[in-house]
Amino acid sequence: MATDASVVAAATEPFKPRRRAGWIKRNRFELALMAPLVIYVLFLTVAPIVDTFRRSFSAPDSGFGTLQTFRGLFDGFSFSQPTEFQRAIVNTVIVALLSLALELGIGLSIALALHAKFRGRGFVRTVMLVPIGVPTIVSGAVMLLVFTRSGFLNSITAGVAGLISKIPGVDWDFQNFSLQVAGGWKTLFTIAVADMWKVLPVVVLIFIAGLESIPQDVYEAADVDGATKWQRFRRVTLPLLIPYFTMALILRAIDAFRIYELALVLAGGIEPVLGTYISKEYLPPVSNLYTSSAASVVLFGIIMIFIVAYLRFVARSQVQR
Amino acid sequence: MNADAKTFRRGRRDPLEKPLKALFPIWVVGSVLLVLLPIYLIFHVSFAPGSALFGERPRLFTTEYTLQFWKASFESGGLAGPLVKSLIVATVTTLLAILIAAPAAYVISRLRPAIRYTVVIGLLVTRMFPEFTIGISVATNFARFQPFGLNFLDSYVGLILAHLIGSLPFIAWILVGTFETIPVDLEEAAQIDGASRLGTLTRVVFPVAAGGIAVASLFVWLYSWNEFLYARLLTTNELTLPLKVFQAIDRGSEQEMATVAAILTLPIVFVVYFLQRYLRPGALSGAVKG
Repeated sequence: MATDASVVAAATEPFKPRRRAGWIKRNRFELALMAPLVIYVLFLTVAPIVDTFRRSFSAPDSGFGTLQTFRGLFDGFSFSQPTEFQRAIVNTVIVALLSLALELGIGLSIALALHAKFRGRGFVRTVMLVPIGVPTIVSGAVMLLVFTRSGFLNSITAGVAGLISKIPGVDWDFQNFSLQVAGGWKTLFTIAVADMWKVLPVVVLIFIAGLESIPQDVYEAADVDGATKWQRFRRVTLPLLIPYFTMALILRAIDAFRIYELALVLAGGIEPVLGTYISKEYLPPVSNLYTSSAASVVLFGIIMIFIVAYLRFVARSQVQR
Repeated sequence: MNADAKTFRRGRRDPLEKPLKALFPIWVVGSVLLVLLPIYLIFHVSFAPGSALFGERPRLFTTEYTLQFWKASFESGGLAGPLVKSLIVATVTTLLAILIAAPAAYVISRLRPAIRYTVVIGLLVTRMFPEFTIGISVATNFARFQPFGLNFLDSYVGLILAHLIGSLPFIAWILVGTFETIPVDLEEAAQIDGASRLGTLTRVVFPVAAGGIAVASLFVWLYSWNEFLYARLLTTNELTLPLKVFQAIDRGSEQEMATVAAILTLPIVFVVYFLQRYLRPGALSGAVKG
């Protein structure tokens, strides 16, 4: 605590500047503790963000306050012959929506299974956590092993096909996949699967937390009313999960649009996304600082549009229902 | 539940009852396989001889494992440098992150709820910007300004500074939650006993919060150990382990890639084992309601 004298002085002093000085003096301990973090965030987070925004509204030959860089990015947009930047935007949105759908869908169904009581549940729940620590780049490397032209997906599917073909009358003549090098949505799909695998633990944890927050008597009431399993799920579980669903979706959406390592590894040369486009523009040999800055601002804009749109339209309509 | 309800329920046929019961074990086993198979594959490929992986349908099992690629990675793969760099950067980042974030998190945790909430949200909002938005500018300025002849590009210091950007908001957020649970009475008691404010902090508050600080620092260590984006922007010569994996991918050598990836993954298995106690669904439910 500050000394009593300074408290009295600050309380009785009518002038504002002196008063502020008193406030600083009284709270100097707190201020000293806060200072390193505040200074760090200002200099190495806020300043760089401002710097990048400022640069994206500048151009090498004309100073600040021009839209030239953005205009250059959006130049030549067409449906028949999309530019690389245009493809990057479309691919980013496709990958993000695809991986969100996979993560939330499969995450919810795994959480439902792990919410039920069965022997060995503790062990299975621990196993589900493993990918949380696996580096993203490793998850990309694994999916490369799985989905490439001579990948393990072929071995696994061939094994399953062999088993199924043992059933009389069934003959599955399996042709090899090569999803990762196929280009188009197939390549984007492998990125989404890699992303899903990596973040499954987080999504499952959020949904299990949500399922455990639903009180048992709601289900008992549904049983008394003779609800079927599907009705219990559709009318009780889903509506009560909405806050957790929204949390998972927003947390994941921020990362899903920023996807980078996985796209670099799995689609580096074939399908650009905004992350790989920005890094390609920034790094040598291209080294185009202004374009990469503007592209990163566009990426931020897409994330914001998605989140605001979700909160404004989807989340609200669900609450009203 | 009363008996009436039970008989009533039994009287109705539920079309989902049977298929769900039959599918449940398959679903659980399938989920476990989905999670574990990729990790198995990384180690499998790093230990299997090339002949087992040849062809369009590489073998999922083999009996003839070899240490050839592990030996090669350590002897001629130039792994020592990246390994040391990754270890030092992750460890120093963790220490600095605690040193900077813990005192600030303590102050934030003692603010009025409305202000505390605003500050924490403000910190988390910085995480909503693409890392590139921050990283591009940081890398450019590191290349341009070299104070006291220090080159931040391609150095340990530069990468540590960059990794702190990502970890500080996160660790501060976790620690605010930890300090909130420590009663203010404890501090007042210490001060009545004659402890200074700093003494109260270092001898009472931080030791009581040691568990939370340990968990938070493990997360930061993991983040830095796995981090790829800043490392790529800030590195030209001295690679970190994740960059080394990427280099192997770029070269197109599956087994070298798998070996480096396995080395990168190994410490994480242990860390997750220690963390699993704290990764309970209950830990998250508070964050949603709050």
